[in-house]
Amino acid sequence: MKKIINTPENFIPEMLEGIYAAHPGEVTCAGEDLHCLVNARKHPGKVGIATGGGSGHLPLFLGYVGEGMLDGCSIGDVFQSPSPEQMLAVTKEIDQGAGVLYIYGNYNGDIFNFDMAAEMADMEEDIRVESVVAGEDVASAAPAAEGEPNKRRGVAGIFFVYKCAGAAAAAGKDLDEVKRVAEKACANVRTMGVALTSCTVPRLGHPSFEIGEDEMEIGMGIHGEPGIRRGKLKSADEIVDEMLEPILKDLPFREGDEVAVLVNGLGGTPLEEQYVMFRRIRQTLDARGIKVYHTWVGEFATSMEMAGASISLMRVDTELKEYLAAPADTPFYKQFQL
Amino acid sequence: MKADGLRAFLRAAAERMAEKKDWLIELDSRAGDSDLGLTMSDGFAAAAKAAGDSDLEDIGKLAYTAGKAMASAVPSTMGTLMASGLMQAGKVLKGKEELDAQEEAAFFEAYFDGVQQRGKAKVGEKTFLDGLWPAAESLKAAAEKGRLTAEDAENAAAAAEQAFENTKGMKAVHGRMAIRGEASRELYDPGAAVAMLLMRAYADTKKA
Repeated sequence: MKKIINTPENFIPEMLEGIYAAHPGEVTCAGEDLHCLVNARKHPGKVGIATGGGSGHLPLFLGYVGEGMLDGCSIGDVFQSPSPEQMLAVTKEIDQGAGVLYIYGNYNGDIFNFDMAAEMADMEEDIRVESVVAGEDVASAAPAAEGEPNKRRGVAGIFFVYKCAGAAAAAGKDLDEVKRVAEKACANVRTMGVALTSCTVPRLGHPSFEIGEDEMEIGMGIHGEPGIRRGKLKSADEIVDEMLEPILKDLPFREGDEVAVLVNGLGGTPLEEQYVMFRRIRQTLDARGIKVYHTWVGEFATSMEMAGASISLMRVDTELKEYLAAPADTPFYKQFQL
Repeated sequence: MKADGLRAFLRAAAERMAEKKDWLIELDSRAGDSDLGLTMSDGFAAAAKAAGDSDLEDIGKLAYTAGKAMASAVPSTMGTLMASGLMQAGKVLKGKEELDAQEEAAFFEAYFDGVQQRGKAKVGEKTFLDGLWPAAESLKAAAEKGRLTAEDAENAAAAAEQAFENTKGMKAVHGRMAIRGEASRELYDPGAAVAMLLMRAYADTKKA
């Protein structure tokens, strides 16, 4: 393991101390627990949006707490869910009388804890909480059948959900409306990833999985969950083609559709390679008659030092475009009006 | 059973989980991320400590308090499920300082319901519920005669043990084990092992 850390045990608290120290006036913690991060600026009457999840994915999750996006985030250890009490502490801190929406990724540990926190908020604090669970990784499971729960993992595409719901809440929409917008964004986004190397959880000290120097795994999850195919590393264009085809087929995205595109580096893949990927994505979308509304390229949901990337597409209409276009200002994400 | 009985039960559960920590880790390593032994020993230890530190006489409130402590200590999937069981038992038994036989059996039924509602699994899907269900049913039937003896608790523990054995052969539907599909039939369910240890702890408590 080759990392710039002091001790594995202090990795997360020290990272959090650094974030609070670097962004005073922007983020602060609730209940003196570093793991409960909230926007330092309050907006009375606004719907509060909270997220949460394990560490190791920056800027996900806490990086999107700020103006025009999320109001609070509870943070667990590397790849571990925060506790219901921490989620509740964030909920209490961000409730401005209009209720709170939880938006988080589709993982059992997170679901159980957010559900428990929502019950505690209702029973102990009289705060109305609604939840939207993002699960858009097409490689992780087949689409949910009618009446069945969605088994897909939530990955980088949740950025679009945060952006749209956050803009709706900032525009003064009520809890039901913000929830509807979040669900609409979830329903229209699809993602697929590829991993070239493993990451190392500091406390474990060894790579999470073995992968050959000349190998890649298509569809691997952001905690190293198995993908759909492992094989020899191919060219950028071939990799993009193999990732994009299942995404396009899944929704499906059709000729005449307009999309937002997110190319996301997993932590160990440089921007140069991500732009090589986007070049091919754009060629394919142009050839299929799918219009690109706006493109985001960079690190949005990482797996520490894992090399690899994901592609997310969201089908947009006038409403979603308006919310994507709205300004946002968080320590990790800044955007002017598009 | 009074509040001190619940305290003793949680202490016994913490001891059983600690004693079988390595065995749980080994069971879990064949299917999950092998942290089950740690989360269960740490989780029940936190629940036992919270109950021991509290002077509540209300058994329901005490169970709820212990559950919340567990949820904070081990917010992993199985940790939260076990905490949900304790918290649900707490809600159902709130206001009671002494449990009669039927209420004592109802503790385990409520525990089952709490886990079931949180995890949304059904009996037969190779989970903790498969281990607990026959034991809770056995206690419920025994409670109809008006009291629960050490022998009844022993029978419930034996039912849970048999139920754990029976999870080998079942196909997993939930969690990481489900990824293995048909091959999951060759494995014992680590969750059902936790149910077995929990009922064994209850039998320990009744014997003491």
